[in-house]
Amino acid sequence: MPNMIVCVKQIADPEAPAGSFRVDESANQVVPAAGVSQVVSPFDEQAVEAALRIKDAHGGKITAISLGKSFVMDVIKKPLSMGSDELILLQDPAFEGADSRSTAYALAMAIKKVGEYDVIFCGRQAADWDAGQVGSGIAEFLGIPSVTVAKKVEFLDGKVKVERVTSDGYEVIEVSTPALITISNELGEPRYPKLKGIMAAAKKEVPTWTAQDIGADASQLGTAGARIKLLKVFQPVKEGKCEIIEGESPEEAAANLALKLREAKLI
Amino acid sequence: MKFEGVDYYNVDELLSDEEKMTKDMVRDFLEKEIEPLVVGAFHQEEPLNMRELAPRMGELGIIGAVIPKEYGAAGANYVTFGLICQELERVDSSLRSFVGVESGLVMYPIWKFGSEEQKNKWLPLLAKGEAIGCFGLTEPNRGSDVASMETVAKKDGNKWVINGTKQWISEASVADIAVVWARTDDGVRGFLVERGTEGFSQTFQNHKGSMRAGDVGELGFSDCVILSDNILPKTEGLRSTFMCLNQARYGIACGAIGAAMDCYETALNYAKEREQFGSPIASYQLVQDKLVTMLIEITKGQLLAYRLGRLMDEGKARHQQISMAKKNNVSVARMCARTARELLGANGVSLDYSPMRHMANIESVYTYQGTDHIHTLILGYDITGIPAFAQTQ
Repeated sequence: MPNMIVCVKQIADPEAPAGSFRVDESANQVVPAAGVSQVVSPFDEQAVEAALRIKDAHGGKITAISLGKSFVMDVIKKPLSMGSDELILLQDPAFEGADSRSTAYALAMAIKKVGEYDVIFCGRQAADWDAGQVGSGIAEFLGIPSVTVAKKVEFLDGKVKVERVTSDGYEVIEVSTPALITISNELGEPRYPKLKGIMAAAKKEVPTWTAQDIGADASQLGTAGARIKLLKVFQPVKEGKCEIIEGESPEEAAANLALKLREAKLI
Repeated sequence: MKFEGVDYYNVDELLSDEEKMTKDMVRDFLEKEIEPLVVGAFHQEEPLNMRELAPRMGELGIIGAVIPKEYGAAGANYVTFGLICQELERVDSSLRSFVGVESGLVMYPIWKFGSEEQKNKWLPLLAKGEAIGCFGLTEPNRGSDVASMETVAKKDGNKWVINGTKQWISEASVADIAVVWARTDDGVRGFLVERGTEGFSQTFQNHKGSMRAGDVGELGFSDCVILSDNILPKTEGLRSTFMCLNQARYGIACGAIGAAMDCYETALNYAKEREQFGSPIASYQLVQDKLVTMLIEITKGQLLAYRLGRLMDEGKARHQQISMAKKNNVSVARMCARTARELLGANGVSLDYSPMRHMANIESVYTYQGTDHIHTLILGYDITGIPAFAQTQ
């Protein structure tokens, strides 16, 4: 029976209207308004679903791991309520200011501490910054193969068969375990938690691991371990301009429009 | 986007993780799976297909949530049940009616007054939504004056023979099992009557102006013969009946606030977007007054429902307290639906917006499960010690 790990991230609801977010240019941060709720990143919920489908078919154990600054427990416990067996939270000031690389490093160290694993699942990208690098980064730190943007994952003995989304369809890849798979939305809707699952999840004790607990090298964590420097966060100024193209007849107006578009090198 | 709902007094902070997670789950499920079906069902008066939807609700554990796990239900607390009702009625009263009836009026009496055999047979099926139940109490000639019901059950050897009619019964035409109350030589008792029993008819009632997305109908008993095993053995007169009603009335008190919340949110969003005389109508004092009145009443209703839920969980809730919450919160929903309809102007009468539908539904809720008048009299009796239900001879 496979041991599976799913990395999940708590984020501000990505479906909140853009106007709910404010850019703090001095701190280089995007600040959600007070009323914006926290959710599990939707791609990560689909990663949990991918693991649950394998558990439905083969049994096994699912451990969800989340790294964050502050957790809303009734949100971050959703993977448990959906059917995961364990949840581990990574929380330490040392993790703060991380980029994709230092996040991947911390998660990889936590996964090493968990021990045995056959498949690690991540969402294709977190729905806040959409970087899409943490999954592959974890695989790199662990020295295992990874397959990205999967829409279907089958667990076979000693390997995993993955349908990977491409621009014009999908390709089928087999990869030996242990492996890391990132899951795309084409996998389908994640299941709803059941009330019994919610009640069990609410009672479940969730351990919190610090940098020391996972034996991490402080120089690889958070800001210290980041290799990307965010230079500027800003809100682009949108300009709307409307020009009415005239013409004696619809045909002439269309011809004038075509000329304009060609002048603007748009056609 | 995750719907947060109106929570002006941070009532959510009083909830446990379990309660909050349940509320979110039910919201999510309803918004994606059921809400899109409601307007069409209401408009056509074609009830939501509970044969299809009940198993999905049952799988999630939201039918009969407070019934113990040993009978296949979730064994949740009353606050959780109340939040489920709130979310259901935020979408449509007929959904809360369904879960309220199954939970409080079918599963609860079987659990409280049934034999172990009846419990083991029916509760798991009902919890899963694989069987649907209904509750037969109200009659064409007997509404509030339930003590003088006309339906009778006569003992005949090892059988009971039931005659009478029950009207305005939620899930009447689809039910697999009816919990039926009838007068016997030993007072009012509860019976289980299964679909297909000879002499038992189940009909759907249309031409309603309310609860049009739900199944409401009539149960007929014409020399309907059931085995003596089908009596709910522990029922003791109308006291047992009222114990069931208390469960459902609590569900209504919580559910009605859901409908009120939806009306308020719809009106608030509309008022901020709708412009008249060059400004959003929300900028006018008369409109703000209406919105604020709705918000205040909803907030009070939320706190009433929440506190009642905790009292239910502690086993301390008095039926008069349940009456107060039912009376108040349904009145709040009624006011909010009308006010929201008014703020939406002509658009308010369109089924493209929810207030008119809620308004129509709430008229049923105002009357069923104890009319507003009856709850007033229950409270009046409690505080004065003087019953005023009937004219003194």
